[in-house]
Amino acid sequence: MVLTLAVMSFIIFVLVEIMPGDAAQTVLGQSATPESLAALRESMGLDDPLYIRYGRWAGAFIHGDLGESLYMRGVQINTIFWRKVGHSVILALTALVFYVPLSLFFGVLAGVKAGKLTDSIISFFGLATMALPEFVSGIILITVFAIKIPLLPITSIIPIGETLWENLNILVLPALSITFVMFGYVSRMQRSSMITVMNSDYIRAAVLKGMPQGYVIFRHALKNALLPTITIIGMNMGWLFGGLIVVETLFGFPGLGSLTLSAIKTRDVPLLEASVLFITFIFVISTFITDMMYAFLNPRIRFKRGEV
Amino acid sequence: MKNRPILEVKNLDVVYKTLTDEIVALKDINLQVGERESLGIIGESGCGKSTLFYAIMGYLPSNGNSTGEIFFKGENLLEKGQKEMMEYRGNRIAMVYQNPYSSLNPSLTIGYQLDEVTMFHRRFSRKEARKVSIQSLTDLHLGDAAGIVHRYPHQISGGMQQRICIAMALLCRPDLLILDEPTTALDVTTEAVILDIIGELKEKYDMSLIYISHDIGVVNKVSDRIAVMYRGEIVEKGSQNTIYQHPDHPYTRALINCMPRSGIVKEEVRLNTIQGYVTRRSAAETGCPYIARCEKKAHDCEKGYGLKENSPHHFSACTRAYAVDVPDRERTALKKVEENYDEEKNILKIENLYKYYGRQGKKIRALDGVTVSLDRNNVLGVVGESGCGKSTMGLTVSGLLKPTKGKLFFDGMDISVSWEKRTPDTLRGIQLIFQNPGRSLNPSFTIETIIGRPMKKLLGIKSKVERRKRIIAILKKVDIGEEYLNRKATHLSGGEMQRVALARAFSISPDLLICDEPTSALDVSVQASVLNLLGDLQQESGAAYIFISHDLNIINYFSDYIMVMYLGRVCEYGRKDEVVGPPYHPYTEALLSAVPDVDPSLKKRTIRLEGSPPNPTKKIGGCPFAGRCHRQIGEICINVPPPRVEFSDTHFVYCHLSKEEMQGISS
Repeated sequence: MVLTLAVMSFIIFVLVEIMPGDAAQTVLGQSATPESLAALRESMGLDDPLYIRYGRWAGAFIHGDLGESLYMRGVQINTIFWRKVGHSVILALTALVFYVPLSLFFGVLAGVKAGKLTDSIISFFGLATMALPEFVSGIILITVFAIKIPLLPITSIIPIGETLWENLNILVLPALSITFVMFGYVSRMQRSSMITVMNSDYIRAAVLKGMPQGYVIFRHALKNALLPTITIIGMNMGWLFGGLIVVETLFGFPGLGSLTLSAIKTRDVPLLEASVLFITFIFVISTFITDMMYAFLNPRIRFKRGEV
Repeated sequence: MKNRPILEVKNLDVVYKTLTDEIVALKDINLQVGERESLGIIGESGCGKSTLFYAIMGYLPSNGNSTGEIFFKGENLLEKGQKEMMEYRGNRIAMVYQNPYSSLNPSLTIGYQLDEVTMFHRRFSRKEARKVSIQSLTDLHLGDAAGIVHRYPHQISGGMQQRICIAMALLCRPDLLILDEPTTALDVTTEAVILDIIGELKEKYDMSLIYISHDIGVVNKVSDRIAVMYRGEIVEKGSQNTIYQHPDHPYTRALINCMPRSGIVKEEVRLNTIQGYVTRRSAAETGCPYIARCEKKAHDCEKGYGLKENSPHHFSACTRAYAVDVPDRERTALKKVEENYDEEKNILKIENLYKYYGRQGKKIRALDGVTVSLDRNNVLGVVGESGCGKSTMGLTVSGLLKPTKGKLFFDGMDISVSWEKRTPDTLRGIQLIFQNPGRSLNPSFTIETIIGRPMKKLLGIKSKVERRKRIIAILKKVDIGEEYLNRKATHLSGGEMQRVALARAFSISPDLLICDEPTSALDVSVQASVLNLLGDLQQESGAAYIFISHDLNIINYFSDYIMVMYLGRVCEYGRKDEVVGPPYHPYTEALLSAVPDVDPSLKKRTIRLEGSPPNPTKKIGGCPFAGRCHRQIGEICINVPPPRVEFSDTHFVYCHLSKEEMQGISS
């Protein structure tokens, strides 16, 4: 895990470095004189070889120093970055709370009722939401819940001087539009794995042992049928925590996604590096958590070592 | 019927509706099972054996519709709803399935899965349930029952898993126990132990029993009466002896004659085959279901067909099994003893072959010093329980695995390397066919491509026309028509796939064919035709075979020499007649005693081999079989490697017993 992060950080650093135009140029603008550019380069240490600059950057990173923003001169990235990350985490968790139980429930229901009307309705709905990009479903949500029935705010901007906690209602619409996107994937995955499990020999054995249907579904089937779905949820975790650029832009939500986007637009190299590395970190962590969950649910993996 | 019937099936029909057709799965089934009675049901796959019991349990797919009556203790089960059926399932009627591993939930502990049965049916508390579960496991002679309940299914062996499934079925002391091929996936020795236990428990608990199998030998061991099913009908039923000795129905007779059984060897008899295969039955079809494949059919077969009591307690739908107006096929030998080939010519020599898997320190000794040689036009049968290294030996000879130590000579040439380093001619010379033909033929290639590829690569035949000519010729030899050339393997039946695999192997005229359980996935009638084909091809080509199987009946029928393996070592080697008769290695003796006999009059004492082979990662000082041996003579067996005892030039045994002692073993 640590190794993955180290390698990733190096790749990110190199990729950003080979982008055309350097930091000094960005800071001073098009009209800068060659002398002033050279002076700034030296003061920023840009003339040092790549590995020294990487070492300096990575070293500072480990100590929690994300550097200084280029675009907003003099602002420590730390001061803005973590607040945005906090917002993103809260949004991601809200979305998780929305879509995971919902799609699991309907996925299981569709799987158990496979081929029947219930299944067709759920599958149709899942496909429809999957086909809609989040900016379309987002706009539909805004039209319905913010304009036609003015229940919720149109944008998710936090008024100056207030915190997210005082404006929790701004989370609902973005979280719903994420739910729209994820529902189709997760419920279809859950449905198909449920069907596989319900057709397995051990479920037949459990039914013919005289166990009631509900018990068979929840005790015998669910634990096995959750495995593939957990992988899907885990794989989307990184996207959910840091890659919500479209959703955040649409609603103007002050999170990591919109921060990354603005860093790209303004060529704010240190900020961009910090954001991308953080997103990578979330990916690695969520994969790790997924593996742990997998092992917890699947004793065949849990006991691979030690016992034969 | 001696006893009051506990289960009575009357005029049961099961029909599956598909989009285009109605398929008859069961037709007019009438069946009775008395109290404490044991009924065996035999038939090929697709004959509706399993469907019958899912119909009894009320567990048919939603497109299946059953009509008729099923009385269980006087109550018609077909009138019961799913809720009411819960009271019977697992409680009054219990089932055991073919594949124990997939019938146990992988993510729940054994104890959990056992406890829930009595917790639901008997309203036991968790504690009471656990006590009953442990008792039930102990009844099945499982040591350390208290420890097993905390384990997961994947942590125990197949034989133990099946005992757990049986223990689970017996928890509520059911009135009727249905066993659906419960030992098919197990080794012979394990099978023998399980069959023994089933018989014992039947007495102990006063149960009735229905035992489904494709193998008459297995059914004989546990059932008094036998019913034969064919295409959804019961075509014949009667006592064990009647069915074997005086079958009335031509299908029963043909089926028995398909089976390799004791006393039948290829030098004398060619196995019977049944033409065609089991087809689906549409609702429109009437009359005898067997007519298309029957050798004894007559012009009036359509009339008067139906199950009748021809002699007391012996029912049959037809009585033409020995009809004289259609003469029997001539009994011919499969192997003609003509000296067309230089039989003495050695084709393969294995010297002190070792193959270890795994890393240093945790090595699995799959082959632990095997020495054997094989001559042209001979069949070396390799037999042993699973995990004894027989497949590893085949793979190492074929080059798919590289030997760890030791030498391999093929036609005098050293081939102790993996296949990449072998010459094209060696590659051509050694061919392999596998247990599961479906998985060894690429599903996206046509038959022509599959067979043509080795011709192109190893024989260097570049012309497509020339290849096609040869492919058609070889397909004809394996009884497959030209029209199959452009079909894909997935569209073939199991028997056809194995024939194509054989055609692929023989298309480049190999000198050595390694057959790794080539018939275990096939039905008996198909198995017979594949064995006949293998025999014919050998007659023609003079190739040598290594024939790997766990089934001693087949090995005994088909081999010239037999090698018995245990834990990667040779126990006994010799000519066929030398190995299957005394003197024996104790392991050979146990294996032979475990083989189920098709002939019910051959009752023999089974030697119960408890436990499983020792852990192959540990180095064994003495005899590997010592721990389970019923003739162990003491410390020497455990500490000193057994000496090679020679009885003749071709027959030797690795054992500490003296020659006289081994001679004295007779079964």
